Amino acid sequence: MGELGKLHQLIIPVFGYNITINLEVVIMTWIVFILLITFGLIASHKRQILPRPIQAGGELIISVLYGLTEDALGKQLARTYGPLICALFMFLLLSNWLGIIPHLEEPTKDLNTTLGLGLMGFFIAHYAGIKSKGFKAYIKEYFQPIFFMMPLNIIGELAKIVSISFRLFGNIMGGSIIILVVSHLTYSLVLPPILNAFFGIFVGTIQAFVFTMLTVVYISVQVK
Amino acid sequence: MEFEVQTAIKIAAYAGGGIAMGLGAVGAAIGEGYTAARANLAVSRNPAISGDIFKNMLVGQAIAESASIFALVIAILLLFMDTGNASMLKAAAFLGAGLSMGFGAIGSGIGSGYPGGEACYGISQQPAAGSQLTTNMLVGSAVCQTPAIFSMVVALMLIFIDFGNVPLSPTWAAFVGAGLSMGLAAIGSGYGGGLAAGASCEGIARTPQSVASVTTIMLVGQAVSQTPAIFGLLISFILMFKSFPESSVLATPMALLAAGLCMGFGGIGPGIGNGMAAEGAVRWVARNVEHSNDLMRIMLVGQAVSQSTAIYAMVISLVLIFVV
Repeated sequence: MGELGKLHQLIIPVFGYNITINLEVVIMTWIVFILLITFGLIASHKRQILPRPIQAGGELIISVLYGLTEDALGKQLARTYGPLICALFMFLLLSNWLGIIPHLEEPTKDLNTTLGLGLMGFFIAHYAGIKSKGFKAYIKEYFQPIFFMMPLNIIGELAKIVSISFRLFGNIMGGSIIILVVSHLTYSLVLPPILNAFFGIFVGTIQAFVFTMLTVVYISVQVK
Repeated sequence: MEFEVQTAIKIAAYAGGGIAMGLGAVGAAIGEGYTAARANLAVSRNPAISGDIFKNMLVGQAIAESASIFALVIAILLLFMDTGNASMLKAAAFLGAGLSMGFGAIGSGIGSGYPGGEACYGISQQPAAGSQLTTNMLVGSAVCQTPAIFSMVVALMLIFIDFGNVPLSPTWAAFVGAGLSMGLAAIGSGYGGGLAAGASCEGIARTPQSVASVTTIMLVGQAVSQTPAIFGLLISFILMFKSFPESSVLATPMALLAAGLCMGFGGIGPGIGNGMAAEGAVRWVARNVEHSNDLMRIMLVGQAVSQSTAIYAMVISLVLIFVV
């Protein structure tokens, strides 16, 4: 059970500071990037009116997600943010599914990944808010309903980052810890594949969708 | 002295196991009972498809059971754990693990009974939408389990991670506080998520063509009502992994214990309240699909306001940990 809570880290000392890199996460993230780009290239290679199965699959994912973005943000903004949302969902989906392959691990199991994505969503949402409302109206919202609520409003906004990134991280890491402990107890017989199907595929899909939808919703709350 | 430490660890492990399973049995049983009650109503309304309803009831109950099964796993681990020659700190960790899992299973158990029951009733009203209802029930009650899964993670970490050479005095309180923070905060979130999932099954039975919007808003609503449980997870991670300097004063451990209690109790109400907001939104989206965007916005704003009390609790917990 020694693996629990242990990470492979590359520590580079730079002028008295230590730069720590979680090697596994970086490698796994690159694997996800490569798989996604390959899928994109194959799906869009030699496009036809009568799509091949893989082209149809790609189109299905994109059109469903684009439709959801359009519902929440409207036609104009969906043109800007739609591609981002589609990419975010596919990245998260593949990341969450990666753990079911032995020796590979989910990049989303590391808080750095999910916190990074959460921060990205936060800044994009606030940028969109400033752009659509103007800076003055944007600042004014923090002083609602009364001016002294300002610090709490700011903490409330920051808590959104915590909640969105810990939700994904907690679910994926929780699943992998439970699989690790159960595999250890049952000598990897029978149960782990079922648990992998539940936590990897089922919970992974739901959480990828929830993360993506919340990012869309955070943008739409800021814009309106 | 050697003997006494081992005895104390055993006492804590048995007490923790008892708490985990005893409290963990509460929620799932209530939830399953609700599912069965709705299934009876459904069969009496539409006896012709009693077979489908019965199957659906069993599937729903099996999922509602999972929170209790998590508690059972933790209890068995605590009872048969080979403690070796662990330090006194492990006793506090075992007690914290039991508290986290025991309290954490209550909300998810009760909550995941709702989608099962509403899906049974929905099948009796709208047999044609049976497969959509079952799928939605599975998704809804699986998301309900998230707070229980968080509790199990905290419990497993407390049991298995070797925290190394840390001073006993404030750290024991940090471990018990970590368990309390996660366990109590999970109650409201699990129950609230169940309310939203139940309303979505009812809504799909009423207007089967609204299934896409209803499931989407259910997932968003459930995700937001889990936020208090996530704050609980954050506080318990900080309590577990922050290294506290040794102190002989009693005030320091008490502050850490209070931080756990504050976040734990502070998370119950917002979780249930957010769940109610999501329940209302989901129910009315099913009746009024064209306005689902407005309903979702109102839901999110309402949830954000209701959530502010959980944020106050988190701020006080952080102050207790880092300042006091």
